[in-house]
Amino acid sequence: MNTATGFIKALESGSKHIVMKRFTFRYPQEKLKFVGDGYQFDPKKGVGLAGTRGRHILFHDKCTGCQLCAIACEGIAEAITMPKVDEQWKQNKKSIMPQIDYGKCVFCGLCVDACPFYALFMTNDYELASYTKSHLIYTPAQLSVKPKYDGDVEIKIGKRGAHHGR
Amino acid sequence: MSNLDGIIDEAKKLSLQITKENEEDRLMTLSVGPQHPGSGHFRFTIKVDGDYIVFVDPDPGYVHRGHEKMCEYRNHFQNIPHLERPVIHDSCNITYSYSLAVEDLVGITVPRRGQFLRALASELNRLSYTLYWLAIYGIFLGHSTMFMWPAGDRELLIDLLERMSGQRITNAYNIPGGARADIPYNFKERCLSQVNYFEKRLNEYDDIFYNNPLLRQRTEGVGILSKEDAIRLGVTGSVLRASGVPFDVRKVEPYDIYDELDFKVQYMKTCDSFARAYVPMLDMRESCHIIRQIIDKMPESGPVREKLQFNIKNPPGETYKRVESGRGALGYHLVGDGSPKPYRVKASVGSFRNLLALPFLLTGSKLGDMPAVYWSLNYWPVEADR
Repeated sequence: MNTATGFIKALESGSKHIVMKRFTFRYPQEKLKFVGDGYQFDPKKGVGLAGTRGRHILFHDKCTGCQLCAIACEGIAEAITMPKVDEQWKQNKKSIMPQIDYGKCVFCGLCVDACPFYALFMTNDYELASYTKSHLIYTPAQLSVKPKYDGDVEIKIGKRGAHHGR
Repeated sequence: MSNLDGIIDEAKKLSLQITKENEEDRLMTLSVGPQHPGSGHFRFTIKVDGDYIVFVDPDPGYVHRGHEKMCEYRNHFQNIPHLERPVIHDSCNITYSYSLAVEDLVGITVPRRGQFLRALASELNRLSYTLYWLAIYGIFLGHSTMFMWPAGDRELLIDLLERMSGQRITNAYNIPGGARADIPYNFKERCLSQVNYFEKRLNEYDDIFYNNPLLRQRTEGVGILSKEDAIRLGVTGSVLRASGVPFDVRKVEPYDIYDELDFKVQYMKTCDSFARAYVPMLDMRESCHIIRQIIDKMPESGPVREKLQFNIKNPPGETYKRVESGRGALGYHLVGDGSPKPYRVKASVGSFRNLLALPFLLTGSKLGDMPAVYWSLNYWPVEADR
């Protein structure tokens, strides 16, 4: 290709973006929209339901304290421990439930795959930053809280290029 | 020089002593890396004579984490999240190779829909990896627009991967037995529209970067690796294809459903840095073509994952399976001894093979050509160190 036409084409393709829409979005004010409530697993069919792998949610009325999630995590991140809780459940004789250290968790979701009782799922909550490491350890009581998440921005493709729109 | 010769002649006339320079003193040793962004986590020392590189000594191992040994203490499912750490942008291809090896060793057949989903995830991952590499290649040749554009367009593919697997980069999606999760509702339409838009963007990359006369001048005819040398040194992936060898594992040893797909092996015969930079671009177009075919041919419904125990027992025996990753052939050699944990895992990665070409290409070239040659090798230090 001719040198002059090469430069002109390069300039043209760059300057076209003056009229294109901005692809980025302003994060803390706008947040990404997620499909569904997060990653879940159906142990009967043996297949996962697609969803974002964020912080876990623990259903106290279903957890039996079988420790399968902790065993699955043993070789990966060793983030799950099983402390005693002050709750009495019929299905949980030992009264132990998972406690997750998010300083170690890699969000692979294999603990969710290991749970045969529909007790441990994942949610869309990914904003887990804290000032101290000890605040990253989520107790069973903290894990049972359903997170509030209201993102509404997602990728849209229009005439003026791809952009994050509502 | 003539001026200097004149001075020396005059000095001789005046019978002054001028000693000839020592050869070692002429050379200057430069250290590149390991913490310099221009090299990744990788150190190599070069000796320069003026502007020319005369000696290159690569020193890999800065980020060695022994993950082959780690594999021997964990079962196959626990291995998946840490095997993908070396190249988190290309995680699906790494776990794909390991899953194929496990399935071959244990004797598992993957459901057909699961095979398609795994191939789809690995193609999307290949695109997002190549864009990441292209962004780095652009910024180290001084083209900051080429850093911004691929880094932004990567979001289109990461968004799709997040919808499929749940994570943006460390997907842990391809596992022994199939794919982790089924695709969500309305995913196919979304995937097609984003991939089609992305393919149009590739034309703009051509205009601003690949057909840019400045890039052509910096890369054309630089670091020539002839076909014979490429085969002799054992390089793989885009480096091998840029030297005129049409080698692609997807075509040579088709795995899963790749023998049903229609695609070409893209290669170039110019053997220089520009060819090594442009072959990944041709591969990206081919990947878009493959993704459209996968979505077209995928069964509408069906199981995606074979139900397996958490502790699958390995029968005694060994196997080797490889896939085409973003950096070339990537294979896992797996030895089983009857227990749930593998007796030995050996990874054969494309990055380490391409490293062998680095001293060969850099010796004799100018110092200014170093980034153009080094990054064109598609070398990922963390993967090579393992």
